[in-house]
Amino acid sequence: MKVVIAGAGSVGRYMADQLHASGHEVTLVDQTPAVFDRFGSEGPVTWFLGDACEVATLDAVSVADADVLAAVTGDDEDNLVIALLAKQEFGVPRVVARVNNPKNEWMFNEMWGVDVAVSTPHLLTAVVEEAVNVGSFVRLLSLEGGDARLAEVTLTEKSPAIGSAIADLGLPRESTVVALIRDRHVVVPRGDTVLRPNDEVLVLVTGDAEDDVRRVLVG
Amino acid sequence: MGILRRRRATSDGPVPADRSIVTIADAPPRRNVRVCGQVTRMRARPTSGLPALAVSISDDSGTAIAVWTGRRAIGGVALGRRLVIEGVATRRGDQLEFMNPEYTLLVR
Amino acid sequence: MHVIVVGCGRVGSTVANELVARDHDVVVIDRRREAFRRLGSRFTGTTMTGVGFDRDVLTRARITDQSAVMAVTSGDNSNILIARVARETFGVERVVARIYDPKRAVIYERLGIPTVASVSWTSARALRHVLPDPGHSDWIDPTSTYALVERKVQAATAGVSVGRLDEAGLRVVLLTRTGAARLPDRALLVQQDDLIHLLVRADATADVDRALVEVGANR
Repeated sequence: MKVVIAGAGSVGRYMADQLHASGHEVTLVDQTPAVFDRFGSEGPVTWFLGDACEVATLDAVSVADADVLAAVTGDDEDNLVIALLAKQEFGVPRVVARVNNPKNEWMFNEMWGVDVAVSTPHLLTAVVEEAVNVGSFVRLLSLEGGDARLAEVTLTEKSPAIGSAIADLGLPRESTVVALIRDRHVVVPRGDTVLRPNDEVLVLVTGDAEDDVRRVLVG
Repeated sequence: MGILRRRRATSDGPVPADRSIVTIADAPPRRNVRVCGQVTRMRARPTSGLPALAVSISDDSGTAIAVWTGRRAIGGVALGRRLVIEGVATRRGDQLEFMNPEYTLLVR
Repeated sequence: MHVIVVGCGRVGSTVANELVARDHDVVVIDRRREAFRRLGSRFTGTTMTGVGFDRDVLTRARITDQSAVMAVTSGDNSNILIARVARETFGVERVVARIYDPKRAVIYERLGIPTVASVSWTSARALRHVLPDPGHSDWIDPTSTYALVERKVQAATAGVSVGRLDEAGLRVVLLTRTGAARLPDRALLVQQDDLIHLLVRADATADVDRALVEVGANR
């Protein structure tokens, strides 16, 4: 895949290295010469010095052919504008954007061309909550501009779902159990998979089904 | 006189002949294209409480969708209206979707 | 009129003072308190420290759909965010954004946000986007028979042909659409947000807006 990453801070550079290691064609864009001087000549990733908020820069790095654009600068305004340009002017199929200030998270959706918003503070909080709140419903990730959400629940003995097969749970139509993590193994869920205490259930929910899913799994 | 700013001005008919229009079926995604069709469907597509208007435009070869963010309506855009859409479309499933394209109203 | 000016640089402070001089209710928002010093002692409006696209800040600035918003910070991206939040979240119709990068301006015009390029910026031009001034003419001929007026096409008039407008005494001599000016053909249909320069009888300038609505209704 061709990936363009706007923002060569530690997040952008890490992503570039990881994606390149996985065999993707990666271009990093940043407008700060100092970053470029320090890191640019190292490694096989392509670098471009320029302002990703400008159409000319996006053109120069062939965003028109990119499969993914990730706007991961440390500035939410820049990330939103880059995302909008990528989606509206270049038709990039998948636009990922980083949310720096959670107060701005409400804008990171299809209104600004964002397919996936990643909020580091939000994720960190979710990861902490996951560790702390066994038994509660934790939202991990929003997809499709917020319409689909990946959430996680670790089942306690008190969960009403214990002892039931997934097919018998009565989960709403707009949800699906994506995976179970049981004894540190990933279990591919089937209709006849019976839920046990300490199962970590990963659910994909769309629409308004979250409350129903919570009721079924948590009570 | 002159508060009219001197700008490059062009004379224009309803559909400029020099920029060619392609059929929706032939329109390549990810490239600037012009398509011409009729409004066959209009839908509100709100996101997180913010409005957006999704308009289906059909010609003989197929249907594309134009989405205008932040709006509930656009003057003159109604069922049956013929118009030209110009922009860069993303492929969403098997349909082309334009985000905030340029549009030109044609006579019904 | 209630006007919110975001950005208290040289431009913002000038515009704010002009608005106060015309008896409008002005709120100036800037991230930095020191910027308000530029307003001077004659400024009788309100100042507020904060981010101009923050919904809470705008609410505290008493924004309503009857307000006008001028996004005149030194950053294009901020100005666009402010303009879109004002329009889309709060329903503000009278919005103008100052833009430095002309290529970005075209894209933002497609979002329905009038922009004024910083090179051709004058307070007068910007204020015309937000303050209604129906009697104003850009030019009157030496015999005072005809006047040139500028109007933004509203939804009520969208879809009417230039020829039809001419028959109604509203001759469109120049039409500007998404930042590009053209000499329109009689067959061209005007569209919402088009800027039209009309040549009308000098004694009829006060009736232009009503006439535009009437033509729309009787098409």
